[in-house]
Amino acid sequence: MNYGYYPGCSLTGSANKLDKGIRQVFAKQGHTLKEIPDWNCCGAFEFGDRKELSEFSKKNLEKARGLFSEIVAPCPACYKNLREADEQNEFAVTHPLDLFDDAFIGSIKPVHDLKGQVFTPYYGCILLRPKETAIKRTTVMEEVITRFGGEVAGEKVKDRCCGGNQIFINKSVTEKLSKLVLEKSKGTIVVFCPLCHMAMKTFSGERKVIYFTDLLLYIMGENVPKLQSKIERGGKEETT
Amino acid sequence: MKNNDQSRVFDLTDYKRQDFSVCLGCKICASVCTVNDLSENTNPQDILQKLFLGKDIPADEPLVRYCTGCYRCTGACPWNIRIPEVIRALREELAIESPFEKAFKGSLSIWGRVYEPYVLLMAIPFLLKGGYMKHMTRWMEYMGIHLPHKVKRA
Repeated sequence: MNYGYYPGCSLTGSANKLDKGIRQVFAKQGHTLKEIPDWNCCGAFEFGDRKELSEFSKKNLEKARGLFSEIVAPCPACYKNLREADEQNEFAVTHPLDLFDDAFIGSIKPVHDLKGQVFTPYYGCILLRPKETAIKRTTVMEEVITRFGGEVAGEKVKDRCCGGNQIFINKSVTEKLSKLVLEKSKGTIVVFCPLCHMAMKTFSGERKVIYFTDLLLYIMGENVPKLQSKIERGGKEETT
Repeated sequence: MKNNDQSRVFDLTDYKRQDFSVCLGCKICASVCTVNDLSENTNPQDILQKLFLGKDIPADEPLVRYCTGCYRCTGACPWNIRIPEVIRALREELAIESPFEKAFKGSLSIWGRVYEPYVLLMAIPFLLKGGYMKHMTRWMEYMGIHLPHKVKRA
């Protein structure tokens, strides 16, 4: 399957691990991701004017027109902005988590399992709200963790806010909210959002925070030297 | 905020003043609001009511300052009112903008994308003052360094 790919600004910088992870996971499944040519920033949450914000994503859709019908956008902010800008539903703007369906999970040939390890799948806000743009597969991370032998914790905080949006405005807000999530969760925190990743990593101390794509790659036996200590140590620390 | 500026708040959102007349005053938005997790006392319904009635909203109202855009309120609201977007418009109207947000927009106007090294550089006085530098080592662990890409058809 060929998909148009909208990485967004974070994935070229602070979330480059997520970008690499997505590309690797899709390649392993035989899918092709092709970037929307010359894409521009989606505006994230920084604009109070809805029309101004929408214009950024409309430009991106314009650039994708005629080239792609399905667009994959891993960053929750980009995904939401693109979905909302596509008023006529001309494109299938999809989040990767919605593409990780039963067939996908079933096709994974595990090299490593997650036995004896605890994980808190943390979705954050924008993947689950508002309902018009929320992902459909809201338990996909739990499904993968339990299928490969891991233990799931922290269900009650999976949709709480880490305050990542405020990290460069009022840091104390993010610190307090992230710590609330960290306190009410166990083991390694598994995230998908670049902003959640940054907020959690900043205030997680010794706790491990990883992208879901890295967990998938670890199960698939990819990048193992890099991921092994992070995943195995992080998951077990909390169980002892 | 002066009453006559409130029309701009509505212009910035997809809402009209009368859209808030449906608010039932159930305060379910307040019961789920993330800002209240911060031991701040806020009530989003109160802001909607003030906008509907044309009453002043102070810039130091906790929700205006600390709204994280989590949409928990919208998810709980019987009318699905997108309160975070109203608050974002209020922040715009009240010209509440952190130096980081300014640098973010600056990067967009130069390259059409957010170039993180530029944003961090432009916001350095703010980062120094705000105690952010102690986090820099950890950020550098996963920050990807690359040259900026200039969007041609921005």
